[in-house]
Amino acid sequence: MVEPEFALAVFAGLCLLLAALLWPERGLLPRWLQFARLNERVRLEDALKHVFACRQEQQPCTVDSLAGHLAVPSGEAAALLTRLAGMGLLRMEPDGPALTAEGARSAVRIVRIHRLWERYLADRTGVPATKWHDQAERMEHALSAEQADALDARLGRPAWDPHGDPIPDAAGGMPPAPGIGLPAATPGRAVEIVHMEDEPPQIYDALLADGLVLGGRLQVVERSDEGIRVRAGGREWTLDPVAARNVNVRELPPDAPGEAPTATLRDARPGERVRVVEISRACQGPQRRRLLDLGVVKGAEIVPELVSAAGDPVAYSIQGALVALRGQQAAWIRVDRNGAGARPEVA
Amino acid sequence: MPSLAPGACGGCAQHRTDSLLRLGLNPDKWDILVALAGNPNVGKSTVFNALTGLRQHTGNWPGKTIVRAEGAFAYEDQRLKVVDLPGTYSLQAGSADEEVARDFILFGRPDVTVVVVDATRLERNLNLVLQILDITDRVVVYLNLVDEARRHGIAVDAGRLEQRLGVPVVSGVARERVGIDELLDAAWRVATGQRATRPYRLEELPGSVEDTVAALAGTVAQAFPRVPNARWVALRLLNADDAVVEAVRSGELGQLGDEPPPEEDAPPPPQSVRDHVLETARRLRWELPPDFHDALSERIFAAARSLAAAVRMQGLKRARFDFDRTLDRLLTSRTFGFPLMLAVLAVVFWITIEGANVPSGMLATLLIDQAHPWLHGLAAAAGLPWWLSGFLLDGVYLATAWVVAVMLPPMAIFFPLFTLLEDFGYLPRVAFNLDSLFRAAGAHGKQALTMCMGFGCNAAGVVSTRVIDSPRERLIAIITNNFSLCNGRWPTQILVATIFIGALAPAHLAGAVSAAAVVGIAVLGILVMFVVSWLLSRTVLRGEATSFSLELPPYRPPRVLQTLYTSIIDRTLIVLWRAVVFAIPAGAVIWLVSNIEVGGASLAAHGVSWLNPFGLLIGLNGVILLAYIVAIPANEIIIPTVLMLTVLTAGAAGTGSGPGVMFELDSMEATGGLLRAGGWTLLTAVNLMLFSLLHNPCSTTIYTIYKETRSAGWTALSALLPVAIGIAVCFLVTQVWRLVAA
Repeated sequence: MVEPEFALAVFAGLCLLLAALLWPERGLLPRWLQFARLNERVRLEDALKHVFACRQEQQPCTVDSLAGHLAVPSGEAAALLTRLAGMGLLRMEPDGPALTAEGARSAVRIVRIHRLWERYLADRTGVPATKWHDQAERMEHALSAEQADALDARLGRPAWDPHGDPIPDAAGGMPPAPGIGLPAATPGRAVEIVHMEDEPPQIYDALLADGLVLGGRLQVVERSDEGIRVRAGGREWTLDPVAARNVNVRELPPDAPGEAPTATLRDARPGERVRVVEISRACQGPQRRRLLDLGVVKGAEIVPELVSAAGDPVAYSIQGALVALRGQQAAWIRVDRNGAGARPEVA
Repeated sequence: MPSLAPGACGGCAQHRTDSLLRLGLNPDKWDILVALAGNPNVGKSTVFNALTGLRQHTGNWPGKTIVRAEGAFAYEDQRLKVVDLPGTYSLQAGSADEEVARDFILFGRPDVTVVVVDATRLERNLNLVLQILDITDRVVVYLNLVDEARRHGIAVDAGRLEQRLGVPVVSGVARERVGIDELLDAAWRVATGQRATRPYRLEELPGSVEDTVAALAGTVAQAFPRVPNARWVALRLLNADDAVVEAVRSGELGQLGDEPPPEEDAPPPPQSVRDHVLETARRLRWELPPDFHDALSERIFAAARSLAAAVRMQGLKRARFDFDRTLDRLLTSRTFGFPLMLAVLAVVFWITIEGANVPSGMLATLLIDQAHPWLHGLAAAAGLPWWLSGFLLDGVYLATAWVVAVMLPPMAIFFPLFTLLEDFGYLPRVAFNLDSLFRAAGAHGKQALTMCMGFGCNAAGVVSTRVIDSPRERLIAIITNNFSLCNGRWPTQILVATIFIGALAPAHLAGAVSAAAVVGIAVLGILVMFVVSWLLSRTVLRGEATSFSLELPPYRPPRVLQTLYTSIIDRTLIVLWRAVVFAIPAGAVIWLVSNIEVGGASLAAHGVSWLNPFGLLIGLNGVILLAYIVAIPANEIIIPTVLMLTVLTAGAAGTGSGPGVMFELDSMEATGGLLRAGGWTLLTAVNLMLFSLLHNPCSTTIYTIYKETRSAGWTALSALLPVAIGIAVCFLVTQVWRLVAA
């Protein structure tokens, strides 16, 4: 019979080996797969995308800007541009590289997959917002046009990505990013965030950490050299000018309420009648749709009725039915705790 | 009422065979096609049964009907075909169910759509009615559960609702067949065009959205003048709804008019016109705000609210005592919620185990002790060769008989009991109470119920996960269902625990100790279920979709007789049939491997000696492993197979009935003696109990998992994961045991 010590040692060794191979993101296999992805095609596609982006934003487009963006030496960046030109995707103009019609089509296709994937991550998965961009950067090189189209159909052919950028349709058509830059907004006006640039990630993460979300509402207090002073969710702070430039907003009519109410359905006490103001933009995709279908719409009255034995979930009376929602879902639903009162609804 | 000759339904819509085939409908001959739509849990299946006389299982659960049911019957010399669509909250085609329902109403072109509405939850139900009225004019509303509504102090003025909606409204109580005849008559009149309808149309949308929709609707109406609701088509095009886009592209949209079509379908508009419509839709899409969908829902619910307020009669006296709320307070209270739940479940299991003993014993006596020798006698009289009668009777028949004897009685008790709780409405409350526990593991509260169902039978447990409407949580429930110790495994656990573990304790405690050991294994299964759910939701299933909601339906008095009938037909017999189908080849294989000899020893003996080293390494032996391999189809025959193989390989003379003939011994002592002779120790017994909990699901369950997930990958994971866990656990227990014992 095998000695138990020996058997256990072999078993532990096997477990360690498997973990080292397969551990998500850190294991040898995931690392090797990631390395294999960074091949030349990926770099060519990234270069194409860079030229497309800086042409669209009318920013200088040079070998150096490309080298900086891809984090490669200038020599390699120049070689990439030459390759692209040789493939008929790019031509050199006096003010730098520009895409040919063929090149623009390829670039739009990559942008389409990127934004679709971000939409997918936002709607259908629990992946946090800070990781959307990185994962989409990988997927944009991995999906074929057919796969992207299937994804598009599965997601219900979305028009906008979760940052507010338009998703090009299969034919390549799309309008420019919506809204005006936050620095251009009139002080004193209430604005709604319609676009948040996700590059560079450091700034995007900081914006998210500040509690800004797409569709969120802000009040512009004042503009100064230090930045833009804004108010939201009951507090005031200053966004530095660089960060503010990455946020596009739409000015709301002067009579619109400035900031979103801070009370959520989670705060409502059992038996208290509250009125729905909105569902937070953080809730997207099927989850949002489910809430809407259940009748959680603007103006609907909701009464918390029952607390489960463990405290969460809570059952609410919604549109005449008793529906249990988890605390996290209830926290997405912003409500007005004063407006509804105990008034019975009459025709 | 004028009666038309069969097959000469003058006013009926012409069914386009290709559309129907695409929808998976068998275009048999019928005169009138009726679609049955409604919210989940409004009694659609009950209406379906009342109409067709069929007995589809119904339950007090949202989401019972997933697969579309069809039924046919005759009325006024006409053949009516009823299609029961999945229950949905809306028709925005956000989920597979909604897509099925929407596509059927739109492209299946039913002659009439019956919308079943729950009178107690009018607003939410009218939301769906209004969406259906947007698609088709031929609608009849059946206002169900008016008795329940009255109990809750709600009465609905059906006449006024009919006036407002512009389509017939029939009120009734489907489970008592109240209003079914009127419903049938109204549906027939609408279908044959004798009753014209003027469906309610939704009002305008807010501001800029309205301009966009109106612009596109104009274009659509110009291109397809016969389309009844161009606004709806425009809205769907702006949503880039693939099915509608395709209908425009192909020109099929032009033929969906609700008016009786002319003799020949009108030619579709020219290609350029259709392309223009799609091009306009693509351009206008960008002008819509991102919260466009919210605005649509708000608009429909606003209309539903004002309709409901107008037709609901005020001032009714509510029942003196609000039974539902009081019961809810008790069943979900912090103090009593969990103890009550455990008590209810304990009673269910106790009745099952106690109640199944006697009929199981009787079946075993009848099928195995009496019928088996009698059949052998018959075979000998008929002069069958030994190998044929052995193969058929000792292999195929015996395995099947064993499965039936062990499986049928507990299932026939457990499932009806469970179904009664389900009908009453208690099970959603259990899910409600346990949800926080399951949420911590990344799962859905309803998994508590599919887990309980798994204690009855894992295959039935896997089927029951259909009530979980969130894809990710449903997969977790399917993959982990096997950790519920099913009926087929209880006898093995009890036998082994009694022989090896109960024997350790003093005689008067032996029963309690062995029972505690079995319960301990079942509890271990629940723990493993939570751990595996947690791991799955954080690794392979991290990227799957999730959308939680749990509706708590009103309590309803269960109908005992119908429950007995449907739960035995629907759950017990279907599962039993599947098990028998799988047991037959298992019996054949067991007999063959024991009787085919290669190189002087049977295949079974070769297998046992080949598997033995690995078996001993994980504290089992070759016999057990071989038994688990050949008995994958049915856990019930593990012990008989183990005994037979033990005799075969250990050569205990005078025991058993020969190679390939499964048997059980009359006394526990004799069984224990035989197993000890086969080399079993206490360690073997403990490991067998662990491995019986932690191994691959039986082939019935594996097949069911494949049918439910439609994915070979998830099926393979569900089958291999428990086995891997079982081998690892047995290995660790064995080696640590030996380390400590040494």
